[in-house]
Amino acid sequence: MSVDATKAVVERSIGVGLLVLALLGPQLVTDFWMDTVLTQTFILGIGAASLIFLSAYGGMISLAQAGLMGIAGYALGNMVSQRVPGGETKGLTLGWDPTVAVVVAILLTVAIALVFGLVASRSFGIYFLMLTLTYSVIAFLFVSQVTQVGGFSPIAGIDRYTPGFVGDVVNDRERLYYISLGVAIAVYVLIRYLVRTPFGISLQGIRDEPLRMASLGYNVALHRTLAFGIGALVAAVGGVLFAWWSGQLSPSNIGLQATIELLVIAVIGGLVRIEGAWIGAFAYIVISNEVTNRIPSEGLPVIGGSFNTVIGLVFLAIVIVSPDGLMGIWDRIWDLARRRGGPPQIPAEIQRPAAETSPS
Amino acid sequence: MKLGRWKLLLPLALLVAGGTVATSGALATPAQSNVVRVAVMSDCKGAFGFAQELGIGGAQTAFAQFAGGKPKNKKKPSAGMTGIRAGGKDVNIVGYGCGDDTPATALKETRRLMQQLGADVLVGPLSGDEAVAIANWAKPRPTKTVIIGTAGSQDPTLQIAPKNMFRYHGDGAQWNAGIGEIVYKKLGWRSAAIIMDDYSFGWTSAAGIIADFCAIGGKITKRVFPPLNTTDYSSYVRQLPRPGQVDGYFWVVGGTGTGPALKAFEQAYGPINPEQHSGNLFLWFLTGKEDVAPRMIGVYVGGFGTAPGLKTKAVNQYHAIVNKWYPGQPADDGFFYNYYQATRALIAGLNKSKGAVGARLQASLPRSITAPFELSGKLKLDRNRQAVQDQWPVRIVRNPQGNPAVELTGYVPNVNQTFGGLFTSKSPAPSRTQPKCVKKKLPWQGKIREVKNGVVTKTVIK
Repeated sequence: MSVDATKAVVERSIGVGLLVLALLGPQLVTDFWMDTVLTQTFILGIGAASLIFLSAYGGMISLAQAGLMGIAGYALGNMVSQRVPGGETKGLTLGWDPTVAVVVAILLTVAIALVFGLVASRSFGIYFLMLTLTYSVIAFLFVSQVTQVGGFSPIAGIDRYTPGFVGDVVNDRERLYYISLGVAIAVYVLIRYLVRTPFGISLQGIRDEPLRMASLGYNVALHRTLAFGIGALVAAVGGVLFAWWSGQLSPSNIGLQATIELLVIAVIGGLVRIEGAWIGAFAYIVISNEVTNRIPSEGLPVIGGSFNTVIGLVFLAIVIVSPDGLMGIWDRIWDLARRRGGPPQIPAEIQRPAAETSPS
Repeated sequence: MKLGRWKLLLPLALLVAGGTVATSGALATPAQSNVVRVAVMSDCKGAFGFAQELGIGGAQTAFAQFAGGKPKNKKKPSAGMTGIRAGGKDVNIVGYGCGDDTPATALKETRRLMQQLGADVLVGPLSGDEAVAIANWAKPRPTKTVIIGTAGSQDPTLQIAPKNMFRYHGDGAQWNAGIGEIVYKKLGWRSAAIIMDDYSFGWTSAAGIIADFCAIGGKITKRVFPPLNTTDYSSYVRQLPRPGQVDGYFWVVGGTGTGPALKAFEQAYGPINPEQHSGNLFLWFLTGKEDVAPRMIGVYVGGFGTAPGLKTKAVNQYHAIVNKWYPGQPADDGFFYNYYQATRALIAGLNKSKGAVGARLQASLPRSITAPFELSGKLKLDRNRQAVQDQWPVRIVRNPQGNPAVELTGYVPNVNQTFGGLFTSKSPAPSRTQPKCVKKKLPWQGKIREVKNGVVTKTVIK
């Protein structure tokens, strides 16, 4: 068996093993780990997956994904919360049906993203990055300055108003765990499927050679806009889940810190493979919890003594040691094995027929 | 070994080691039932980051005085405390929360302290919207108990009001009771503009000023709302009416913003005339730090639920307690005192519940508690578990050394959260537009007594 085939078998085996562990998760770990570490890993992983999808397959590093998650969450929060005694005190408190609100929140986010994407689709590289950062800043300033939709205060009670098929996620956190796990798997499968479709293949072509693809008759801007819309759909679903998980949202969940958080997750996991989204989210959340708990009480000698310092150092280390993140380390292990086993083997599907390569 | 191999093996080794340490807490371990787990949450970052040691110091002074706690370092409260016992059980401070005045961080810290570290009781938070977030978090979690540290937003105990949340100090509006009447009567203000931080505490604090000033007949002609953590206030002060168009200005701009906001005003409209300015407790903090402070001598300022300079036996005893356990801590600062009172109530509750937490502790937390800055000696809670508290407006003066300081100027008895029915659980929480400016008879109107040299006189302010 070739190294690549072995790698594929090992990866599938690990994937199945992780899935089994994830399914048994609530029985194996503490409530805190189930809720704050694992559920949040699934949800932030979904957000990071939207970023990695755009980066790995569309060549677009978007800083708008956290903002789009926030837009979906804020829209949902404003639509479902209710201004009654003992209810919510901030936001529009429209008191809509939660199912309708979820659908509208996701559609609204995708619609906004399509407009954003249309504007950004003709820019590349650093210009695309800056434009998408601008979108996040616009979203942040909108929710923090327009006090009718929240302002500095939290939009709360979102977890109290969920659709019937979701149920009570306040008291039954296991339910939210499995919902988030299911959605994360669905997102993973969707992206894996999408990149193999003609749209996905042409998107990858645009990523590599936009000019050549345009000269071949592909509408580059449309493809990039649609990809941005799909990324927004994934981010919006993540945003809705995050709003249910957190129960309340405030501008910090949509601001620059959240934007950087998602980018750091994607970079730690690896910007080249979708799996990296959840690996990165898990690493980020575990580091966050450990650092915050240990530094004040045990006085670890970290400059500044803060989580941001530690995560910054980790980020730096990742960029220097493995620019493709933790998934990159994994790939390099197999590269090492491949080198020991001889020259790299060309996958069968891109080997040219012998007749073409060797003249008779 | 080649460098390339090191680049692979080193991160792998670090990953394995880090992963083992980090996930070691994942598997469930049984919690000890003979220990009460308490967390103290203050701000260590953001506009109120300076107050972390004050909050922890206040809480631990109460633990030291009433529950046998021993400070590890009398100069640094966050170094920790050992030997705390209450209600026959050991009390373990499981962690100190580090807020930055944002709701998101407060929520994250609350989850860490209450869910990961398993605290039964939270003493905190410090800031207004943090308390709004935690009130919403606490509502569906009745087994957890929250005693607010020193946050002054109105919503947590009036509109949201979860049954497991307690506040043994006034909210931001209560702290400002009397200030409107004082400037109306002493300075002759009839119209004013107000500039307020654009978040829950700013709105609540401004609501107290607006309610008090309008109740006696004043008019608020303009409200301006700079966001919290603004650094350049020039565009906001330009929204204020020019001097001469109003009788005065109320300032509700806090944290690191107070000084820059006043300086921006001076740059726009010239030097400050103290008779045209008033504000909330944030102007207190200006006195020791900002170069604009000397020009504020004579300004009347709302209170913080404490009475700096009040000459009573109870206050002297309280100062002696603070000096014994944490010498040098500012005992009269609300950031310290309110945490002290919150923890004192917690200890009383634990003693009564015999160390039980959850519903039994909540039922046992005192509805009336000794408080050094209450003239009657006792502070009472209302039915929403919110303090009804004496208030103490102050004035900026020169101290004997010639430096700006504050001096008690008035005594406003028994200020409740509703302002005589103006604020209710059904009324909108304070915001940019709430409350409206309405004339109304407040319970303390016409009853504010002058304070001279730290002694409450019988003279009513006219």
